Amino acid sequence: MKTRLPEHGPLETPRFWRTLEERIETPEAQRAAQDEFLPGALPTIHDDVHGLPPQDGFSRRDFFGLVGAAAALAATVACDRKGQGTVVPYTKRPVEVTPGVANYYASAFQEGRRVYPVLVKTREGRPILITGNDEHPGVKGKTSPRAMADVLRLYDPDRLRAPKLNGRVLGWAEAETSLHQALRAAKDAAKPVLLLSGALVSPSRKALLADLRAALPTLEHLALEPAAGDAAEEAARASYGQTVELRPRLAKAQVILSLGADFLNGEDPEALAAWGAKRRLNHAREAINRLWVLEGPLTLTGTNADQRLPVSPSRLGAVAFALARELAAKGLPLPAGTDLSASSTGVPAGVDISPKTWSSLVKDLHQAGRNAVVLCGAQMPAEAHQAAHLLNALLGSEAVAVRPAEPLASIRDLEAATRGMAEGRYAAVLFWDVNPAYSYPRTAAWKEAVAKVPSRTWIGQVEDETSAQCQLQLPENHWLESWGDFSTEGAEVLQQPTIGTLYDTRQGEDVLLGAIRALGAPASESYHAYLRDRWQKALPAGTSFEQALHDGLVKVGDKAAAPAFKGSSVAAAARKAAESRAQDLELVLFSGFATLDGRHGNNAWLQETPDPVTKMTWDNPVSLSVQDATALGLQEGDFVSLSLDGTTLKLPAIIQPGQAKGVLALALGYGRTTGGVAKGVGVNAFPFMGLDPASPNVRSGARLTKAGGRKELSRTQRHHRMEGRDLVRSLTMAEFAQDPQGHHHAPEPITLYEEQRFPDHKWGMVIDLAACTGCSACVVACQSENNVSVVGPEQVTLGREMHWIRIDRYYEGELENPKVVHQPMLCQHCDSAPCENVCPVNATNHSPEGLNQMAYNRCVGTRYCANNCPYKVRRFNFLEYTAYKAEPETLVYNPEVTVRPRGVMEKCTFCVQRINDGRIRAKGEGRTLRDGEITTACMAGCPSDAIVFGDLKDPKSKVSQLAAASRAYRVLEEVGAKPAIAYLADLKNPAVQGGPHAL
Amino acid sequence: MHRFDRAFRFVLPAAAVAVLATVLSVGWFTQPDRFAKGYAPEQPIPFSHELHAGTLRMPCQYCHSGVDRSRHAGIPSVDLCMGCHKVTRTDRPAIQKLTRIANSGEPMPWQRVHTLPDHVFFDHRPHVSAGIACQSCHGEVQTMKVLTREMGLRMGNCLGCHRDPHAVLPQGSKITRGAEHCSACHR
Repeated sequence: MKTRLPEHGPLETPRFWRTLEERIETPEAQRAAQDEFLPGALPTIHDDVHGLPPQDGFSRRDFFGLVGAAAALAATVACDRKGQGTVVPYTKRPVEVTPGVANYYASAFQEGRRVYPVLVKTREGRPILITGNDEHPGVKGKTSPRAMADVLRLYDPDRLRAPKLNGRVLGWAEAETSLHQALRAAKDAAKPVLLLSGALVSPSRKALLADLRAALPTLEHLALEPAAGDAAEEAARASYGQTVELRPRLAKAQVILSLGADFLNGEDPEALAAWGAKRRLNHAREAINRLWVLEGPLTLTGTNADQRLPVSPSRLGAVAFALARELAAKGLPLPAGTDLSASSTGVPAGVDISPKTWSSLVKDLHQAGRNAVVLCGAQMPAEAHQAAHLLNALLGSEAVAVRPAEPLASIRDLEAATRGMAEGRYAAVLFWDVNPAYSYPRTAAWKEAVAKVPSRTWIGQVEDETSAQCQLQLPENHWLESWGDFSTEGAEVLQQPTIGTLYDTRQGEDVLLGAIRALGAPASESYHAYLRDRWQKALPAGTSFEQALHDGLVKVGDKAAAPAFKGSSVAAAARKAAESRAQDLELVLFSGFATLDGRHGNNAWLQETPDPVTKMTWDNPVSLSVQDATALGLQEGDFVSLSLDGTTLKLPAIIQPGQAKGVLALALGYGRTTGGVAKGVGVNAFPFMGLDPASPNVRSGARLTKAGGRKELSRTQRHHRMEGRDLVRSLTMAEFAQDPQGHHHAPEPITLYEEQRFPDHKWGMVIDLAACTGCSACVVACQSENNVSVVGPEQVTLGREMHWIRIDRYYEGELENPKVVHQPMLCQHCDSAPCENVCPVNATNHSPEGLNQMAYNRCVGTRYCANNCPYKVRRFNFLEYTAYKAEPETLVYNPEVTVRPRGVMEKCTFCVQRINDGRIRAKGEGRTLRDGEITTACMAGCPSDAIVFGDLKDPKSKVSQLAAASRAYRVLEEVGAKPAIAYLADLKNPAVQGGPHAL
Repeated sequence: MHRFDRAFRFVLPAAAVAVLATVLSVGWFTQPDRFAKGYAPEQPIPFSHELHAGTLRMPCQYCHSGVDRSRHAGIPSVDLCMGCHKVTRTDRPAIQKLTRIANSGEPMPWQRVHTLPDHVFFDHRPHVSAGIACQSCHGEVQTMKVLTREMGLRMGNCLGCHRDPHAVLPQGSKITRGAEHCSACHR
């Protein structure tokens, strides 16, 4: 905070920066900052006749062509509205449906071991929006971006619509006969049958598999989660003697040490809520937590760190064991049998941490004791996990829950299965919602082995790499069409269908029930009946199954006892950690933000949501450190060859500030070869996965060379730039205590315009940058609520993405380890909005409730407004993104929001459809609006409650109180636009003098 | 002839005529109140509002039950008609057709009479709760044998009433104006 930019003077090197070009101030970056639209975003005139250079803009001929077309169109569309087709009521109206009124149903979404209890908003029977179930004690109404986006997968046009046998479409009866014959033959010959499915967190599904095993004793089951990380499983078995799952309980944590753990990445709404609660401070004297992050690649959690130290993943174990030794030396009791003699005292060799920082970290952990927690990233090596387990045991941490879990298949199990299949051991194989032909590291060997199994069946939604190898393909329901139940902490969660099946599909459990019956064992007619029968026996007295379905959950106490840590496991791990060193470059394979392990690859909403750190869309370039890029002479977007263990991939590179030297990072889940959306997006990184279960995701010995050529990256961070002005503010706790506003002083408003009057309400918003982690849940929530178009990678490269809310990620400080601030940026609904003055047709103007409203049917697309918007939040429909869409894709649209056509400007409306609905409901009930009654989609979706929306005219409302807080500021206040959104300055709680990026 | 002369004598008048012709023809076609009024399409069943709402004095909301709960008033589902017509007038061919549709579950394709463009989000609820009679916009429905459009439902109709609603509001209503900002209807 020492160096400040002069308010209007010449620009020095920006204090906050978003891209390397901006930081180094290349001429291209300076030029790009001048223009509203990126080069190439506007149409170009080629004047071949006069030999003039190509120019942006319209040619005269195009202009007259468009004027003529527009006049003709105006004349035809406006002329008559007779014969507007038919209006078809229900023949038999379902009692709960009133056309125009949304219904909400509780259900649940499973992703790996995580279960998201959700509420599904349906309109006329169509699910259109997913939010968290607010009655669940853990998630409290929040969910993850991927869970929200999964409603799009229901309407994926690529879904398989009927069973297929050897490429021939057939009915279920015939398809099932074929499956049953194969299973009966296997049973009679007593040959094994292999079933591969996802993680098992459903009690009823578990019981069903037990029933199937009783009917088919030769059944072998593997639960496959390719991106979950074998290392964590290995380490858990070593430390606790059984498979466990570690869940952070951040509400109890004062000091958090992350060893590459990305727990703030949006996957865990519970952790984000606890984080937000500890960060939304009104006064500097309130308690704040402190986050230490030791990691190789820069993760989203690392960007939120108070103190971040780049450490290569292979050294994390050594660092953590050395910490344990220091803490033990300070008198914390080591668990019985712990032998730490192999680990170093002090900072281990090859780790760049200053003694001062080190002692401060040790002191922090020691002082916090049971209020400290150490979390380790799923992808990190097993010894780092074991060290984290030891540290938590040593500290007696109460901020982590150790829960027994069902084991997942390790890479060794899969290798054994491959061998078994290749040797002809299996009579049949069933793939249920898994895609090993894509995710298994040795694809060729896998496919060859699978081909030797006589009967191959696939159950899934969209045909994929695995289904291509199966004779029988059975189309599965989406989870919004299915029944189910799941175990979560504090509650058993129920899943119910919110729509009938769109196609001739069945849920996998029904297929298995059919198999059980065909094998001669008694079984329920349907999985619904199976589930109901089980639950009616298990439910506590006084609760009906219907009530449980309505609530979506049954609250239960956590009965499982936490297993104890075994000190004897430490010696070997500490020795291994001490010896672990990376050769050449170290490659970290992490699950893609959008795609996870590839299962979300066909979801265009997720593909277009920028990665919260790199801001990449539609691609997975390899990211490398600034130091390595300099050494290799690489520029952003340069193609590189990445080779490891005989596998070589050509892909673009990006330079990631903050990444540890010698570390490469690459996202899994891209490079699919099937799926209308997923196909050909990025490269498949699974072949790089190692076969050593102790560290499959962190590989040493990677080599990187220039491959020649460049790729224009579909990356959003260089779009919509704001010329290095002081737009984000970040305070240390000391600054917060002394002078939260710093040198900033409220500008004197001078205006020629009449002051706006707001008779009833004035809608406004406060965004707390200290609570915002950048997880992008708001982006997906907004996309789903407001029918925001997807434009594709080429258009993103041109800067034409349509998101109404974006998250600007700013770096501050050193390239090698910058501090990071995330700032959600959306229409500021300025009282003196610069966009309104320049619209020639008055399509955008101010409402008496303080909204900057946009009438699409008036907009003629001059784009003057976007040019004049200081916040760069207006989005123009350069192309027709919607009109070509047909069912089923159109079914996901929110009918309360216009689907915008080509040539129209659009932007955030503060979810005006929700405001209007809330106001009308209140009026109908004869009362005034309550504070917090109206939520915008981004606010409802924000897991850390960083966004608050409400009425600024009501002095008692939460939003007006927050807007007057000491940390509050408005972006570009000096312009005089008077935005309706106030930001609360980010807070960092560094432990070391010299700020959060001091080493 | 000097080239400016030519411009003044021919090009300018021709341009003026072209502009005038465009304005007039667009204006002619965009004045659809004339076309919109009196639209009375033939319906799959010759349902008479005059009989049901007029003679039998059934309240509008008996059938259009969504009007105070939803944006849409709603067209009654076929099974609602059957509530009475299982026993009433079962000898009429139209009722027999209705019964057939109700039993088979096939859709009933009513012809749309009152319609708004897709970018208009009209909401019935506040209008009904303000006590505005349905007839204010839909005409004297209880006298119509065949439902006929009486109002063009143009933006002028909306704004005219929103600026001066006292004629349609019940006596003693405190409302003086309706919303006039864009996002009240367009979003």
